[in-house]
Amino acid sequence: MQNKNKHSRLVTKARPRQMAHIGFLLPNLLGFLVFTLMPVLLSFWMAFTNWTLKPAVHLEFLGLRNFSDLLGVRALDREYSALKWAYLASAAALWLGIVGALWAVVAPWRGVRLGGALMALLGVAVAALGVSTGAGQGVVIAGLLIGVCGVAATYREDGGWEVGPGTAPALLMAVGCAGLGLLHHAMWARYEPKDPRFWQYLYNTAYLMLGLPFSIAGSLALALLLNDDIPLGRARLRAVEALICVVLGLITTAVGWGLGYPNIGLMGGILWGVAALGCAVNVIAFRTLFYLPTFTAGVALMILWKALYNPETGPINAGLTAIFAALGLHITPPEWLASVEWAKPALIIMGVWIGIGGTNMLLYLAGLSNVPRELLDAAEVDGASGWKRFRHVTWPQLAPTTFFITIMATIGGMQGGFEQARVMTAGGPAGSTTTLSYYIYNKAFQDLDLGYAAAISWVLFAIIFVATAINWKFGRELEVEG
Amino acid sequence: MRRRLSIALRFAALCVLGVTVSVPFVWMVSASFKPRAEVEEARIVPRHPTTRNYPIVLDMAPDPVTQQKLGLRFGRWYYNSFFMAVGITFLQVLTSAMAAFAFSRLRWRGRDTVFLLYLATMMIPGVVTMIPNFQIMVWLRFLNTYHGIILPAAFSAFGTFLLRQFMLSVPPALDEAATMDGAGPWQVFWDVVMPLARPGLIALSILTFLGAYQSFFWPLIMLNDDQYYPMPVGLLALDSTYGRQTELIMAATVMNVVPLIIIFITFQRFLVKGLQLGGVKG
Repeated sequence: MQNKNKHSRLVTKARPRQMAHIGFLLPNLLGFLVFTLMPVLLSFWMAFTNWTLKPAVHLEFLGLRNFSDLLGVRALDREYSALKWAYLASAAALWLGIVGALWAVVAPWRGVRLGGALMALLGVAVAALGVSTGAGQGVVIAGLLIGVCGVAATYREDGGWEVGPGTAPALLMAVGCAGLGLLHHAMWARYEPKDPRFWQYLYNTAYLMLGLPFSIAGSLALALLLNDDIPLGRARLRAVEALICVVLGLITTAVGWGLGYPNIGLMGGILWGVAALGCAVNVIAFRTLFYLPTFTAGVALMILWKALYNPETGPINAGLTAIFAALGLHITPPEWLASVEWAKPALIIMGVWIGIGGTNMLLYLAGLSNVPRELLDAAEVDGASGWKRFRHVTWPQLAPTTFFITIMATIGGMQGGFEQARVMTAGGPAGSTTTLSYYIYNKAFQDLDLGYAAAISWVLFAIIFVATAINWKFGRELEVEG
Repeated sequence: MRRRLSIALRFAALCVLGVTVSVPFVWMVSASFKPRAEVEEARIVPRHPTTRNYPIVLDMAPDPVTQQKLGLRFGRWYYNSFFMAVGITFLQVLTSAMAAFAFSRLRWRGRDTVFLLYLATMMIPGVVTMIPNFQIMVWLRFLNTYHGIILPAAFSAFGTFLLRQFMLSVPPALDEAATMDGAGPWQVFWDVVMPLARPGLIALSILTFLGAYQSFFWPLIMLNDDQYYPMPVGLLALDSTYGRQTELIMAATVMNVVPLIIIFITFQRFLVKGLQLGGVKG
């Protein structure tokens, strides 16, 4: 490198070329330094101070106090240190167990299957306990997650049923769950979290991310349906088919109208219209249609969905009421965004509707086009069923795509929920749709407490970082295996 | 026979999903053409369709109930959105392309280290930089200005990364030949690499434009004077004042979504290519 430079200095013509990169880089680098690198450093500093936008507040260095206010617990009368540490240790054991279980699925350890079976049992027990004691959705969901991890581990063929290191995560999780369960009442009778809202909003954020697996699986299903052209015949035949669909659509609409069911008639008409499009342009028509919600996503769509979900005037509840009435059921449809129980599921449904045919579907389509045709054909010749071909040929080939999508979705999901909360629910009812990003916004721009908000954002970054690292480790191994 | 059945099932499933995707849009359009008396009815097709909601939102006609204009600056918001989005797109694509050229075609010491630093910052969530960036904007007195929105978005590590991938796929023999013929680096960039990287440039332009047109968080905290509002912030203001008048809100959302649909249909084939390259090869 050094030598090369000396040489080029002798050649006069090469001189401007040596410096050219600075000219090309400068505009971008300047912006990068001012709007990315400097903010990161400033934010880090802010998190350790009482930085505020309020005038006339003296800037103080607080050390770790923002973080301890955010994450710490406070004793209600006397300190019970042993209890606190035992409780935290149980939580840590559960956490370690979960990470270890993910690890065990990919590591060549013995006893994985046994551990998996134990975990599945444990998960069912926790979920059942959560349901029977009314401990809340959180416990039930955690139990189900543990159960799913367990089943995944049992699925490993070479893990063996004997006791081995692979059993350890399950034992850790059992210890953690037992500790948390037994100490729960004692702990929260004597302590309270310093910032209970942070934990609630963290839970909300995680809850809303439950939509991601459905959304990703849906994207994959759509990509499989749309991967190759539907054999509908040649161009001329397809034009005729499209024409027939249009005519049938008009008839359906007219008949529905005539019988006094204009909505049903119109829905039928739309169905035939979509079919006509499908006949005329084949899968491209569907890809375009499914991508539309992602492309138009934003405040406008959220306002639209707020109107759709309106319990009194929205079409969703009007439709549900009509369906329930037709079935002779006496059920009142949910209040959606106005109720604590249904607000989060409502947002999840909207998220799946927006994201299912979006970028993830395109990425899966790209992944599918890279699956070698010969492999699938060979499997078919060998008599593998559709499911087996998917499970053993397509799915392993798609592993890098799934891996990439999962990482991006996790990163996005942890930071998500701001727009919905701001536009649709104001974070309510009772804070049930406030996510961490909306909490940060409120702390920074409503309370003007930039220091505390910066501290939350760094905790969020730490969570995202750990989640990505686990994903990375876990995903890379699976990729190698596949 | 079984094969036919599976084709029919596949087609039917796609059609049903297609209806699920379209129905909210259909309802949105239908509600925007309803008179106020009908908007709470469950009927999708209005009995007495009217186009009056659009002039009311555009402030060209008074509201029939209050007999007063709403005083919205909808046209202004349109203009703001497009102006900011075009500015951001132009600057971001240009700066990204130049940086991508420096990272892919020029050789210089420390190149890969600097690029790695760029990549590393892509991992840092937006919320971390948002707060100090706002403080910087306060220091620079950029609140309630167009450049306060445009400048921070004019540089992007993601865009640099995407275009670098594109430029790496342009055969280096071409610019070596151009250099032999006496072309300077700027000529190589502008006349050789840029035309060849066009699919990437178009894809990044669409993505950037879309992001800027729909961006919400940053304009929301930066602007409190409604003459600078872009469309999403304007829609929120409209929704919080006239949210009970669904027909007006839906007319406004239709006007927000229609330009996007036009852009989408015009550019969709570039978009698919760009997304796939940016995503999978990363």
